[in-house]
Amino acid sequence: MDTLNGQSKICVNNVTKCFSSKQGEVTALKDLSLDIMDGEFLVVVGASGCGKTTLINMIAGFDSPSSGEILLDGKPVTGITPECGMIFQQYALFPWKTVQENVEFGLKMKRIPKSERKTIAAKFIDLVALNGFEKSYPHHLSGGMKQRVSIARALANDPEVMLLDEPFAALDAMTRQVLQEQLVRIYEKHKKTIIFITHSIDEALLLSSRIAVMTARPGSIAQEIVNDLPHPRNADVQLSDNYMALKRKIWDSVQAEVLKSMEVETG
Amino acid sequence: MDKENHSSKPIIISIISLTLFLVIWEIVCRAGLIDPVFMPAPSKIFARAVKLIGNGELMAHTLASTRRVMVGFMISSMVAIPFGIFLGSSRLFMSICDPFISLLRPLPSMSWIPLSLLWLGITETQKYSIVFMGSFAPSLLYIIEATKSIDPLLIRAARNLGASKLDVMREVILPGALPQIISGLKVMLGIAWTCIISAELVAAREGLGFMIMNGKEYFQTDTVMLGMVMISITVMVIDVVFKKFERRLLPWTR
Repeated sequence: MDTLNGQSKICVNNVTKCFSSKQGEVTALKDLSLDIMDGEFLVVVGASGCGKTTLINMIAGFDSPSSGEILLDGKPVTGITPECGMIFQQYALFPWKTVQENVEFGLKMKRIPKSERKTIAAKFIDLVALNGFEKSYPHHLSGGMKQRVSIARALANDPEVMLLDEPFAALDAMTRQVLQEQLVRIYEKHKKTIIFITHSIDEALLLSSRIAVMTARPGSIAQEIVNDLPHPRNADVQLSDNYMALKRKIWDSVQAEVLKSMEVETG
Repeated sequence: MDKENHSSKPIIISIISLTLFLVIWEIVCRAGLIDPVFMPAPSKIFARAVKLIGNGELMAHTLASTRRVMVGFMISSMVAIPFGIFLGSSRLFMSICDPFISLLRPLPSMSWIPLSLLWLGITETQKYSIVFMGSFAPSLLYIIEATKSIDPLLIRAARNLGASKLDVMREVILPGALPQIISGLKVMLGIAWTCIISAELVAAREGLGFMIMNGKEYFQTDTVMLGMVMISITVMVIDVVFKKFERRLLPWTR
């Protein structure tokens, strides 16, 4: 893991993260190493509290490792990096900005002229099928629509990597499925490197090109699984033996970790 | 349950209660139960209003006070808003300024009047400074609180999209805190009126506070009470204007 693969977009090298809390020092991640290839759709699966969000926050530069390092294109991540566009579970849209102004935000920060901003924003609003809602404020939109705005906002800023932290966890099943399909289409069209965090094994299997299963706290990578299920991953694929076998494999791994963490808590 | 009838009823009741109050007051005064110097009849106050409107005095005094409140309040807000946002988002500057704010805040605006008279004399600048001193520290505290109430996730999102710290203040903290800042400023506007009336009561050549004090010197109780009524009406009118302005500034809260 110590050598830099030519195609690695992000290298997480032996990262440990400790937080001090009222109960004393808590180790959220311990010696976690993970390589993310350029153009790959990596889904990180793990039980709640295993440090998934801590990991993605450090890749985005919101937080720094206690030890170890994170490299983006071979360079250490030292602060917040706009190259890694983040999509939050709680959408994090600016309530005082319209859909269009939200999507334009990153471009505005780059001091791109207004007319150009408008053209680019229109393209991405179109991509997430929100035409006609350009002038709406976020609180008039449903959860699914808000998350689509958030995706368009991240894409308009043209990041090299997209980080998604349980983006569909707060949505109903139907909306979630629509957004998953949209995300796969966007991934295929725009060829971004994607790191997607979830606790849903089905979501991981539907979206990923590779899956990393995390251990219980302190988190590290328990298992990495290449997901070569054929696209589109429709009902047929989801009922195939291959899908079931992969699901069982991940489930066993996740379950073992959940049991371990419960033992730690009760014992 | 007719909807129209339902909504207009409270207003009608309010009008009746006010009218009844004025009528009883008038009757009590006309019956000679109260000394007119102690409490003049509403009709006397009204007659005084007509007279002072006729010679332009009432309008001049009202405008003088309103102008002083507005100028002092604007300067105070224009300094307090950027300064408060800055303090609310920087722990270092907060620690530097905290002792001064803590010392200034408990001082009532009245306590600044002697010092401001020594420094500035009975001038317009002195009036503005009283409004400023009375409303600045509390405004600042409102704005610091509003700044701290911003969802940190929004700041993260903005930084992630390439916003600098200054961009975050302008694009996230200011608009995010604006609803709270405005409701704070509404309270402060009331306080600004308290400041200016006290300043005018002590030393002034015009304004509603001066009019009230002058009325008292000549035992014109009707002028005194008219001045008080005018303060109420003016503050109410400004409140309505402020609300219109608020809706325009915060289109997303509609």
